[in-house]
Amino acid sequence: MTFSLLHATDFADRLLYKIIPPLKAGMIVLADRYAYTAFARDATRGVDRQWVRELYSFGVRPDMALYFRVPIDVSLDRLMARRVKLKFYEAGMDLGWSSNPADSFRLFQGKVLDEYDRLVEEFGLEVIDARGSIMEQQRFVRHLIAPHLELGEQLETTDEQPV
Amino acid sequence: MSSPSEDPVENAEGANGGMQPGRYYGRGIPYLPIGNYPGKLIAIEGTDGVGRSTQIQLLREWLEVKGYGVVETGWTRSELMQPTIELAKSSNTLNKLTFVLLYATDFADRLEKEVIPALKAGFVVLSDRYIFTALARAGVRGVDRQWLRTLYGFAIAPHMVFYLKVDVSTLIRRVLAARGMDFWESGMDLKQSDEIYDSFRAYQSKLLREYTSMADEFHFRVLDARRPVDHIQDELRRQVAAFLEPAEKPAEAALTR
Repeated sequence: MTFSLLHATDFADRLLYKIIPPLKAGMIVLADRYAYTAFARDATRGVDRQWVRELYSFGVRPDMALYFRVPIDVSLDRLMARRVKLKFYEAGMDLGWSSNPADSFRLFQGKVLDEYDRLVEEFGLEVIDARGSIMEQQRFVRHLIAPHLELGEQLETTDEQPV
Repeated sequence: MSSPSEDPVENAEGANGGMQPGRYYGRGIPYLPIGNYPGKLIAIEGTDGVGRSTQIQLLREWLEVKGYGVVETGWTRSELMQPTIELAKSSNTLNKLTFVLLYATDFADRLEKEVIPALKAGFVVLSDRYIFTALARAGVRGVDRQWLRTLYGFAIAPHMVFYLKVDVSTLIRRVLAARGMDFWESGMDLKQSDEIYDSFRAYQSKLLREYTSMADEFHFRVLDARRPVDHIQDELRRQVAAFLEPAEKPAEAALTR
């Protein structure tokens, strides 16, 4: 519960200072992770799913949410290639499911991925196959985002008119 | 013990606990089912300067002499959160929402680490303030009341809630005599007045109205805090005894400590 509430506090702070002001100014906000991370992670830790959703109901619903999906082994390989040690909470070591960090990671993040699959349907997340090359993924992302931006550009030009 | 195969939603204990004492108010904490714990939770509520800590200290001594194991818990006393809350209050970055969530985190920490284990072991838990303080403060600041109640759905409904009630004029004299008015107690963050006395009076009056509006909803036992300390203590003891004595006494193991 404290893990969940501390992250919600951090989220509220960022929302009020870093997200809402630029949105009001008509800017584009790119959020690296959003409330969905909390929905997936907290539910995996045994926090009530409905409660977490209601907790975050003060958040702004994104115009678009992208979910980069990879199988558990790919994400584990990528992390291990970059650094030797898995982070304690990232591997879900606090849950005591396994004393081996890699095994714990596999169990914990496996459950997290299951939760994300629920979210895809519930919140209409756009799924991107993150096994592909960065180029391929980026091309697809741009293709998804383009229609939203055309609308944005029109708004921007009206804003830019001299007073 | 938890294992990855357990579905947390399936055992959402107390998801509809409602107002039943000793159960979660709302959706609760699924990984901590709390049915039928032998301990009792007694909350003492009231604004600043109503003598809560004095009453709790006297009540504790009396309960211990009677053979009950007693555990105390109090607002923002969690080891995890106290330094953070103090730090945040000293800066100017706190917003009403982050304020609410920091308090809730502190409360959750104490609930998991202090209150629930003590109830499980058969202690009487005396809580110096409870969620009603958070509901009142946030309510005055315009936070959505329904959202607040859902948020605190992980709290346990106390077996008894005592509300030490004063009028604002008595409260002002007591706070001034004790230590003076501080920034947060005066609701200066609401920026209703630059003058601390006016702000304190307006803010505390609103807080008192919030508490009053919760009295029925949460079954407060209202005590007049203007009466002498020993009168209030006698009334507390009378009501606590009437509640505890017919109830089954805690297990022997919890009594001998």
